[in-house]
Amino acid sequence: MTDIKKTYKNYVHGKFVRSESGKVYSIDLKEEKYEIPLTSKKDLRDAVTSSKEGFKNWNQLTMYNRSQILYRLSEMIEGNKDSYISLLQDHGLSKLDSKNDINHAIDTIVWYAGLVDKWEQLTGNLNPVAGEYFNISHQEAIGVTFTLSPNSMSLNKLVKAILPALTVGCSVINFSDKNAVIALKLSEDVNNSDFPSGSLNLLSGKFENIVEDVGGHVEIKHTAIYEDISKKSKEVLGQKGSESVKRISLLPSTSGLSSILPFIETKTVWHPKGK
Amino acid sequence: MNNWEYSESIESEKIVNIEKKYGNFIDGKFVTPKSKQYIDTISPSTEKILSSISIGNQQDVDYAVASAKEGLKKWSKTNPSERAKYLFKLARLIQERSREFAVLESLDGGKPIKESRDFDLPQVAQNFFYYAGWADKLDIAWGNEQYKPYGVVGQIIPWNFPLLMLSWKVAPALATGNTVVLKPAETTPLTALLFAELCEEVGLPDGVFNLVTGDGSTGSHLVNHKDIKKIAFTGSTGVGKYIQKSLAGKDVGLTLELGGKAANIVYSDAALDEAVEGVVNGIFFNQGHVCCAGSRLLVQEDIEEKFIKKLEKRMQTLNVGNPLDKNTDVGAINSKDQLDKIEKLVNEGVADGGDLFQIECELPKNGFWFKPSLFTSVQANYKIATEEIFGPVLTTLTFRTPEEAVEIANNTEYGLSAGIWTEKGSKILWTADRLEAGVIWANTFNKFDPASPFGGYKESGFGREGGRHGLLSYLKVSS
Repeated sequence: MTDIKKTYKNYVHGKFVRSESGKVYSIDLKEEKYEIPLTSKKDLRDAVTSSKEGFKNWNQLTMYNRSQILYRLSEMIEGNKDSYISLLQDHGLSKLDSKNDINHAIDTIVWYAGLVDKWEQLTGNLNPVAGEYFNISHQEAIGVTFTLSPNSMSLNKLVKAILPALTVGCSVINFSDKNAVIALKLSEDVNNSDFPSGSLNLLSGKFENIVEDVGGHVEIKHTAIYEDISKKSKEVLGQKGSESVKRISLLPSTSGLSSILPFIETKTVWHPKGK
Repeated sequence: MNNWEYSESIESEKIVNIEKKYGNFIDGKFVTPKSKQYIDTISPSTEKILSSISIGNQQDVDYAVASAKEGLKKWSKTNPSERAKYLFKLARLIQERSREFAVLESLDGGKPIKESRDFDLPQVAQNFFYYAGWADKLDIAWGNEQYKPYGVVGQIIPWNFPLLMLSWKVAPALATGNTVVLKPAETTPLTALLFAELCEEVGLPDGVFNLVTGDGSTGSHLVNHKDIKKIAFTGSTGVGKYIQKSLAGKDVGLTLELGGKAANIVYSDAALDEAVEGVVNGIFFNQGHVCCAGSRLLVQEDIEEKFIKKLEKRMQTLNVGNPLDKNTDVGAINSKDQLDKIEKLVNEGVADGGDLFQIECELPKNGFWFKPSLFTSVQANYKIATEEIFGPVLTTLTFRTPEEAVEIANNTEYGLSAGIWTEKGSKILWTADRLEAGVIWANTFNKFDPASPFGGYKESGFGREGGRHGLLSYLKVSS
């Protein structure tokens, strides 16, 4: 009997898709070799279109609802733990390290799931202005966010490059290179967790192929880079990004309250008090 | 319309003592600039030369940055409570000498003394007072994570609120333990130079606050200096983009507070007389030289005629003239360059087909002046409806539904501020939720407070100044 090998695809707008270019690149693991989508500029643009709608869809939900969807993701991973462990082992990790990493990833997701309906209480506040005014700093998600995963063979590090932005209400386009098989595997559980279409898109490929377009695309409101990229890429990203005053975070915090701060806008509203 | 005239009530200039020539303030003292290049700073209301200031060159900036680097050694070892005390003392000194500062600000920048005296200076002092109190509470401001100052910070500020912008930048930077090299605008450097004297007076350790005067070239040296760890800039979106581009790929922090084209939305169920006051204040405050000015009036179609009539009547009561006259509502345009820009855009607005209303008033012979102006019959694609004019010019657009109001309001690359006028609370909240702007004034406009975060969405920049959020502009998470 012949084993069937899985074909991993990009995950865009709730669908598993190949690159429109038809191009792939290989990830050669211990046991298996995978040919995965080499995301093109066109694929990126399609993902942004999806993500723009995804931002609306994600924000239409209550915080309570979003919180449950993230929690659901942790439940899905828990149920498929063994398959993640064997995939990480195939990436060269020991069984124990693989198990620990998956457990940590689940803990991370549960932590952020519980933060969804609380973070604004920690980051927003009334401002004690010197006058008869009600003045509040309300917090909002910046919008469509592109995140570059670290190249570590780790589900935990991958979700830490996705959840901070997602937690505050951004829609996320996550891009992975060397660890892309893990990301594309994650998309299957994302697909089963009731995420609205476009709220989380997962792409694989080579960042240098699309960096100029990530920087230049005005609909990408924030770019968070969780991998130490080349000086050249940083320059291209910053220069193209400056054309639309894009927010760019290089190696942002991956834990605690500081991890979500890059993804929020502060909106301060004033109203006079009176009779 | 009444014909009552106000008698003149001129604030005396005698209180200020302006030097003929200024150097830079570096390492705790005034020093002769290495550039040996000077330009005049004039009073825009009379075109009289007030003083001569230096255009700092690379060597001047090198010296200031080296001084700030040296100052950081002491400042970072200064107990936070002691840091706080320096700032409290500065606040007190500013209060004591506020009349002098106010006159100087109005002389150098052209803004009415009523505003520099009653708005700018009280806010400046309060800013130092407010951030002084944060200096020893940074560990509880944003949770228990490790936040650290950047180090040497370069700050570039504009000419519309010279001393106020200095306080917005310097107070939080010093409270969080950074040291500063500040470059004020070339047309309005005098109050910053007087502030430097106060730093000397309170005994602020040498190198903690440094000041280099100059123009865009000086600013560029500062932005590109290898020892600068963070740049804070307030000014035009064009220059902001240039700075962001210059810093691309470098490990330098950046906050930008840039331009705006704020919508001031008046619903038909607003308290109209109050709305008129708010709209007038929103655009004519500080001659409209305000990045968050309510420069686009969005009025609901069914009240347009009535509202515009009231507005024109109210506008006609504005006193335009000598900034030092306590009755003056609208002062001088800050510079010839700015006046030219305003005139060009207004002429284009007329050529495009906009109806221009200007108040009847006599403008002084010398100096730079522009009559408070209102455009109606404007199409959304006219330049006067999309570009920041940064002058006393209001552009009117109309809408039928709240959805349309929000769509028009957000139809701009800017996102600094917005105004909402309605007596219906739920409509305020509905509208505020949908406006893409960092500051939203409901049934008020142009209110500011050191405790209240200020800053933009989209191409109006990033980062906040003011409040607890303002601390984050000068702290980074240590890894």
